[in-house]
Amino acid sequence: MIRVINVNKSFDDNKVLDNVSVSFEPGKTNLIIGRSGSGKTVLLKAIVGLHDIDSGEIWYENVLFNKLGFEEMKEIRKEMGMLFQGSALFDSLTVEQNVRFPLDMFTKKSMEEKTDRVNFCLNRVNIINANRLFPSELSGGMKKSVAIARAISLNPKYLFCDEPNSGLDPLTAILIDELIKELTEEYSMTTIVNTHDMNSVMEIGEKIVFINEGVLCWEGNKDEILKSDCAILNDFVFANALAKQLRASGR
Amino acid sequence: MLKFLAKLGLYFTLLKKVFSRPEKPSVYYKQTLHEIVSLGLNSIGIVMVVSFFMGAVITLQTAYNTENPIYPTYLIGLGTRDSILLEFSSTIVALILAGKVGSNIASEIGTMRVTEQIDALEIMGVNSASYLILPKMIATLIFNPFLTIISINVGILGGWLAGTMAGVITSEDYIYGIQYAFIPYYITYSLIKTVFFAFIITSVSAFHGYYVDGGSLEVGRASTKAVVHSSILILLFNVILTQLLLS
Ligand SMILES: Nc1ncnc2c1ncn2[C@@H]1O[C@H](COP(=O)(O)OP(=O)(O)OP(=O)(O)O)[C@@H](O)[C@H]1O
Ligand SMILES: [Mg+2]
Repeated sequence: MIRVINVNKSFDDNKVLDNVSVSFEPGKTNLIIGRSGSGKTVLLKAIVGLHDIDSGEIWYENVLFNKLGFEEMKEIRKEMGMLFQGSALFDSLTVEQNVRFPLDMFTKKSMEEKTDRVNFCLNRVNIINANRLFPSELSGGMKKSVAIARAISLNPKYLFCDEPNSGLDPLTAILIDELIKELTEEYSMTTIVNTHDMNSVMEIGEKIVFINEGVLCWEGNKDEILKSDCAILNDFVFANALAKQLRASGR
Repeated sequence: MLKFLAKLGLYFTLLKKVFSRPEKPSVYYKQTLHEIVSLGLNSIGIVMVVSFFMGAVITLQTAYNTENPIYPTYLIGLGTRDSILLEFSSTIVALILAGKVGSNIASEIGTMRVTEQIDALEIMGVNSASYLILPKMIATLIFNPFLTIISINVGILGGWLAGTMAGVITSEDYIYGIQYAFIPYYITYSLIKTVFFAFIITSVSAFHGYYVDGGSLEVGRASTKAVVHSSILILLFNVILTQLLLS
């Protein structure tokens, strides 16, 4: 369980997070949705400690995370996996070395055990026969998959994904979404996904929070989202024509 | 001024992070070997070429500027040797390496910053500053003295070839000259400077790369700043170190 309490964050005069409070439950795929520039990435990075926050609290179970020093933070970070907006694979390492990297850094496993684990993770995300390729030789969708494999190589308790399906075709996007959802259930991770894709919302959203200009406006699940009477949320949800028609016919 | 102090503070914070306890020495050891190849061995070529021609031109200039029958010609050899030892192989080579190695380090680390690879390291619990920068620092601190020694030798060789081929000095005189009134401390002085300059190049360039904010445009800017700032610091410390070591 991850709890965010009254978090504020500004860059110079630009207030990006305004008193955000929300909690995320284990074994569930939690979604943070909102328009471009609404502060989703900043919120996610604040939760994992990549951005210092101005005030507020971030709790992992019963540990006050944002007050920890680097060394203590490290212990919790070993239980985190994160998928970045641009994949963030290490350019100079092959696919196999990328996925093995956390194992090399933090385990004392033998090379054979590590290779087994790497292959298991790569298989799990359907990347086969690409072990020796470099990130520059992969398609965007493959990069995301490899990044997921790297994120889960140490069996994390928490998984964070920043726009896992941006820049992918609709089918690949759904595959990645489902992969994230399945992994979350398989390992009962607490997963938080940033997205502005309504398809993802309807596919995998078990708990959804909507932020607008740094303010948390709405919380609920994917059934409730179609019936909400929050005007800004409705503008977002029914932005595309098809969704509008569905609403018109469904009501 | 305030901005400068803030930058300076940030620089020392980064150094502190770089020198904190490494998480897995074996990984660092492997990275250091890798950096010795990529930053050190790959610089031998340029250092040799530059040193050869500079040695040659120093000999010729010394010869043409001292065309006077009362000067014995072996002094040309001595002049070449001391110019190379005192200034050329430490300072000028450091300036060239600031251009090559410095821009390389700043753009590599800067790219990792803007593509979130540094964030990815941090999130795994890796001390990214130490993991990325310490191996580069150790590699250059170990290897640059060798580059200096190579440079001294190749420079003196270049001087000999140019001097004898242009007929301004005989081979015997040159060889006598480079041994005449030799002060071994000059080599120590040259190597001490090299170690300082290596530290300046890696730390300043890594600093500019590590704190890039933005996109590929900023990475380019950071790499230019890395070269300019480390060059200026090298020249400044050249004066300071010379005063401290030779006075
Ligand atoms: N490092 C930073 N320095 C200054 N301002 C920043 C920084 N990062 C983000 N911001 C600002 O914070 C605001 C929110 O940005 P954020 O990246 O969180 O948006 P987002 O919701 O993730 O958008 P997108 O869907 O396009 O990724 C923007 O106004 C942005 O300008
Ligand atoms: Mg974002």
